[in-house]
Amino acid sequence: MSSALRFQGVVKNYGRLRALDGLDLDVPQGSIFGLVGSNGAGKTTAMAIALGLLRPGTGTLDILGVGPFTPEQHAGRVALLPQDSQFPPHARIEELLRFYGRLQGVTPEAIAPNISELLNWVHLADRRRSPVRTLSHGMKRRLSIAQAFLGHPDLVLLDEPLNGLDPKEAARVRDLIRERRGRQTIVISSHQLTDIEALCDHVAFIEKGKLVRQDTLDKIVRRSHRVTYHISSGTLPLAQLQAALPDVEWEQHGNRVIAGFPTRYTTEELNTAVLRILLEARVGVLEIRRGSDLESEYLRLAAEPPPLLPPK
Amino acid sequence: MNRALSTLGIVAGNELSDSIRSRRVIVMFLLYLAGAMGATALFITFLHSIEGELVKTLGLDAPKDAGSVTATLWKSRPFRDMLTGLIGEKKLAETLLDVPPLALFYGWLSCAFTPMLVMLTASARVSEEIASGSIRYLMFRGGRAPWLLGKFAGQAAQMFIALLLSALGAWVIGWFRMTGYDGWPTAYHMLWFAVKAWLYALPFLGLALGISQLCALPNLALAFGFMSLVAASVLTSLSNWLAGEGWRRIWDLVNVLTPGAHRHALWWNDAEHLLPAIVFLVTLAALYLFAGYARFARRDL
Repeated sequence: MSSALRFQGVVKNYGRLRALDGLDLDVPQGSIFGLVGSNGAGKTTAMAIALGLLRPGTGTLDILGVGPFTPEQHAGRVALLPQDSQFPPHARIEELLRFYGRLQGVTPEAIAPNISELLNWVHLADRRRSPVRTLSHGMKRRLSIAQAFLGHPDLVLLDEPLNGLDPKEAARVRDLIRERRGRQTIVISSHQLTDIEALCDHVAFIEKGKLVRQDTLDKIVRRSHRVTYHISSGTLPLAQLQAALPDVEWEQHGNRVIAGFPTRYTTEELNTAVLRILLEARVGVLEIRRGSDLESEYLRLAAEPPPLLPPK
Repeated sequence: MNRALSTLGIVAGNELSDSIRSRRVIVMFLLYLAGAMGATALFITFLHSIEGELVKTLGLDAPKDAGSVTATLWKSRPFRDMLTGLIGEKKLAETLLDVPPLALFYGWLSCAFTPMLVMLTASARVSEEIASGSIRYLMFRGGRAPWLLGKFAGQAAQMFIALLLSALGAWVIGWFRMTGYDGWPTAYHMLWFAVKAWLYALPFLGLALGISQLCALPNLALAFGFMSLVAASVLTSLSNWLAGEGWRRIWDLVNVLTPGAHRHALWWNDAEHLLPAIVFLVTLAALYLFAGYARFARRDL
């Protein structure tokens, strides 16, 4: 699969502070790609560098296979939802989108239908003539999302897209992003790992300006040889579990227990044994899922907590 | 290239329409209009009082309206000879004496105040977009240079509209308050002075937007804009005064680099004087604008 966005050893300093420390990243074309990292990890900086808002120190960048960002090569083919940027307050929504759309290269005939589609998309069609200053924070965020999809760009970078949205709108935006899978490359930066997990097929963990891990979501949460048990009450009977399943690795993150099992087991065999022991110990089981969850994997990579019991 | 030109045009159009939509620019237009109308009314009142003194001294009947005495005086040979002597350049004096007094006053007024209004409206235009982050929605859709040139073009167009409005306001005041008013010649000369004032204000617009690219704080940009206006004026006077032979020739260079040094040429109507002034003023506008761009092109947004 070819790359829509590639960083190789990109360094960015803000004065004496190193924001990106040789970042490597490879975003496959057509993927929905999640960028995960703690505050100040370099996610926003990476996005801004990709689209020429910030100048990198060293390293190489390739966007859509034609080199680093230049307006001549990339304008109209890329878009960004910046994190904390405001719109001109007196501009009216429709006029603002028309202005952005025309800059994006949308033809005059296509611009009105495109704006209508996007405003319906983000539930702002009835506010199309309203000045930006009259919108709530969530509405402005939805307008931000709409502008990023003007002209159907090949690569869309969304920095914390669901921040400030109410649950209903957030769910709607998630659906709409999913609909674009395979048609556009979408990079999402978020602290909400459940959102990343729900939307993305590829994930990269960034910490202190460096790539910690990048892979498909399936491989990161190890769906083929891990099972997560979401328990509600009771004390985990670790001794019995270990005795019954001696070569399984156990981890506990709050009320989530993750079993890492070797390939000679099937998931069904594992579940049968584990559920029997948990039910006998009167431990409530709320959910069973293949693989661990992104949050556990992220915390594991970020902090490397030791497993409850080492495998024999 | 086509994309850059298209970006320039779209940004210029948006800058103009956005300016017209926003209340601040409506206030600015009103300022131009009210300033020109108010100053013209004051000028006519002043003219009327001088004329009153003159006819009293000569023992004639006092005129009801302003302008009748001035119009007669303006055309009289002794008065024209006296003014030619005062100006010192016969050809320039003849050029100016062909212009109705009210248009002449408008020419002086617009050249004196337009740079100030330009600083007031344009010096924060880039910095406020940097400060609010709204620039981040734009830069990936076009280049920085076409965006900036579009901004300049939009502001220049806005300034031209404001100057036309102020000329219209001044003309209307004259029409109401002056006797023997040469309507068409005054309108023609006022329009011509509006164009000249616009050309004269271009380097100030370049300076305002140049400074705006250096500051991420709009208020700071505004303050620097006004400081640069004062500095430019001081440098023009200083360089006029200090220029001379030897090392002092360096002041000739300083003089050429200030817009004020080219203002005098705008009073003429012949190509020999006007064309070099226009070339200098446009070049200075580009020089100031791109001096700021040297930083803007590399700055993190």
